[in-house]
Amino acid sequence: MLFDNTDFSSLELPKHVSELRREVRDFLDDERRQGSFRVHLGHGEFDAEFSRKIGSRGWIGITWPRKYGGHEGSYLERFVVTEELLAAAAPVAAHWVADRQSGPSLLRWGTDAQRQKYLPVIAKGECYFAIGMSEPNSGSDLASVRTRAEKVPDGWKLTGQKVWSSWAHRAHAMFVLCRTSPLGEKKHEGLSQFIVDLPSPGITIRPIRFLNNEHHFNEVFFDEAFVPDEMVLGEIGQGWRQVTSELALERSGPERYMNTLPLLLAVIDRLKTSPDRMARVMIGTLLARFASIRTMSLAIATQFSRETTPNLATEAALVKDIGTHFEREVTEAVKMLFEVTPAADSDDEFERLLGEATIFAPISTIRGGTTQILRGIVAKRLEGAV
Amino acid sequence: MNDSALLQDAVSRVFLDFYENDRLNKARRDGWCAELWAALEETGMTLISVPESAGGSGGSVVEAAEVIRLGGKYCASVPLAETALLAGWALAGAGIALPSGPLAFGIVGRPNQVELHRREGAWRFSGSMDHVPWARNASAIVLVIGSDADSKVICAPASTYQVERHANLAGEARDRIVFYEAKLEDAYVRATASITADRALQRGALARAVQMSGALDRILEMTTQYAKQRAQFGRPIIKFQAVQQELARLAGEAAIAKASAMAAAASVMADYRANTAVAFAKIKAGEAAQAGASIAHQLHGAIGVTDEYLLHHSTLRLWAWRSEYGSEAYWADRLGEYALSRGAATVWDEITGSVGDQK
Repeated sequence: MLFDNTDFSSLELPKHVSELRREVRDFLDDERRQGSFRVHLGHGEFDAEFSRKIGSRGWIGITWPRKYGGHEGSYLERFVVTEELLAAAAPVAAHWVADRQSGPSLLRWGTDAQRQKYLPVIAKGECYFAIGMSEPNSGSDLASVRTRAEKVPDGWKLTGQKVWSSWAHRAHAMFVLCRTSPLGEKKHEGLSQFIVDLPSPGITIRPIRFLNNEHHFNEVFFDEAFVPDEMVLGEIGQGWRQVTSELALERSGPERYMNTLPLLLAVIDRLKTSPDRMARVMIGTLLARFASIRTMSLAIATQFSRETTPNLATEAALVKDIGTHFEREVTEAVKMLFEVTPAADSDDEFERLLGEATIFAPISTIRGGTTQILRGIVAKRLEGAV
Repeated sequence: MNDSALLQDAVSRVFLDFYENDRLNKARRDGWCAELWAALEETGMTLISVPESAGGSGGSVVEAAEVIRLGGKYCASVPLAETALLAGWALAGAGIALPSGPLAFGIVGRPNQVELHRREGAWRFSGSMDHVPWARNASAIVLVIGSDADSKVICAPASTYQVERHANLAGEARDRIVFYEAKLEDAYVRATASITADRALQRGALARAVQMSGALDRILEMTTQYAKQRAQFGRPIIKFQAVQQELARLAGEAAIAKASAMAAAASVMADYRANTAVAFAKIKAGEAAQAGASIAHQLHGAIGVTDEYLLHHSTLRLWAWRSEYGSEAYWADRLGEYALSRGAATVWDEITGSVGDQK
């Protein structure tokens, strides 16, 4: 009923993809040795210099056409690069949204001028995007957004408020989902997307501090902010279809289940010297869960590398649900295995990782579709399938 | 439809003919379903993945896994995995002629101690084995003894052992067999390096993992259908979010079990990191069996625990298969020991490795 057309028994990676993995791993080993970054769990660190290094190696915009600065690689190449960056907990926050969400949307819906303007600089690791979707009264019920865009000569005027826009205060641009015709009976209609350069007149960005007082979330206010016609993304009125079109890849990627993997790997090295049976069983169990989730995720990436747009949104919802819960199981298992005090400010890397994993735990099952919404999506599909 | 879909479609029809309560209950009393075995023999499925040169039906381990998975889905009480994936494999590898009929399979080692020695120019062996699948129905049992250099494959006809009838939770024959100075000619005992007790255990665990994934698919179907039909408070219970949430979790367990089981089948077929892949699959399938069966029962309410309703044929099997060929705890212990003795870098390599990386 799910994964009906998925072949889990032919997921071998082509040789050049394995070689690419090795290349990324060697690069990351070198960087760590030079102390260019430290392992950090959670949202990932914003590090423009690191993003430029990643970009110069061709690891941003991997699947995009060369004429837009991409590398015409496969989804499997993207998959292994993502895996290695996350396993190393590398500081990828700066280019993350642009690479995995904004870039693909520009390719699919953008005009040639929009692509020319943004994609090559994104691929270089020099241009960063933020997301303007959620609003104070529109979380899971995204179609209820109220930020509106009014037609004016040569463009649109945006008025309203967006929230949870990660790194908007350091981004060069953001996509804003707006209502372009009044809320009617079909609330998925009348929505449109706009590209807004940041900063711009009429736009105010204010921090929403995370529970540990860190600043990555923002609220973004639009006060009749002008957006020229050529910055409409895709078609007016097609915003809903556009924002939901990339969900299969967004919800099934390694970033949905790998956020605490560096902690698990650290535990394995720490336990190496004196494993008892409980430790062995717990580690074995976690590895089996991880590997099985990864198989589903890899199967989806593989299907994307073979077909143009496989319909796997429900499967992806399921991967995200299981994957995000797995991340927490790692943290809990560690707490059963060690008498260790989680402390985000500790000099001891292990205490610090555990502290970060604990603090960031609530986020992954909320952002990008809550557990409850995802399970609703899966149940709806089941209801229609039998 | 591609070849694999055609095969699955044809096999499903054979299994479905026997998937109804009276026949399943009869199989539970008898320990197996003789008519289903006969129907499967006609299709050649009972020797799938055994090379044609050795008297088998050919086909890959992955194809065999797909067929065995469907057997798990439709509660097939027959030694399909034992005959094709285990006994057939061992006999073909050891160069022993394949007897006709259903075959039982056993791995000798603790706690199944069978002594093998030579007397008067022939092999003799004594000892007993517990929980042997379908020993009472088999024309012969194939045993694998030992590891690496000193492993042996034995093919012992049913006349050489006594059977004491036992069953697993689902009523599938899991007999105790006793050998007492059983005599076997040299042709039935072969030393072989490639067929080891450990590889046999691996294949057994793979078989149970794919069977469990099949059974999980079935209980997901049943539970979804039930939730759509069953009305309470004036509407089908599937309309309640609390029910939808649980149903989605069940779908997740079924999907992840299938993913890891079929990935393990590919690893066994390629003989590449098979130990790790099978450990992943057996652990995950076992966990999914527990979580999935309990959701299926919860959503069915009391009707699900009655003898007249089909659900228990699947859930009893899930609970039984979980502990056969190594429980989750067994495989997790092994896997954990391996991981902790090698360290994180090797573990990451092992998980992300691909068949193509083989040196």
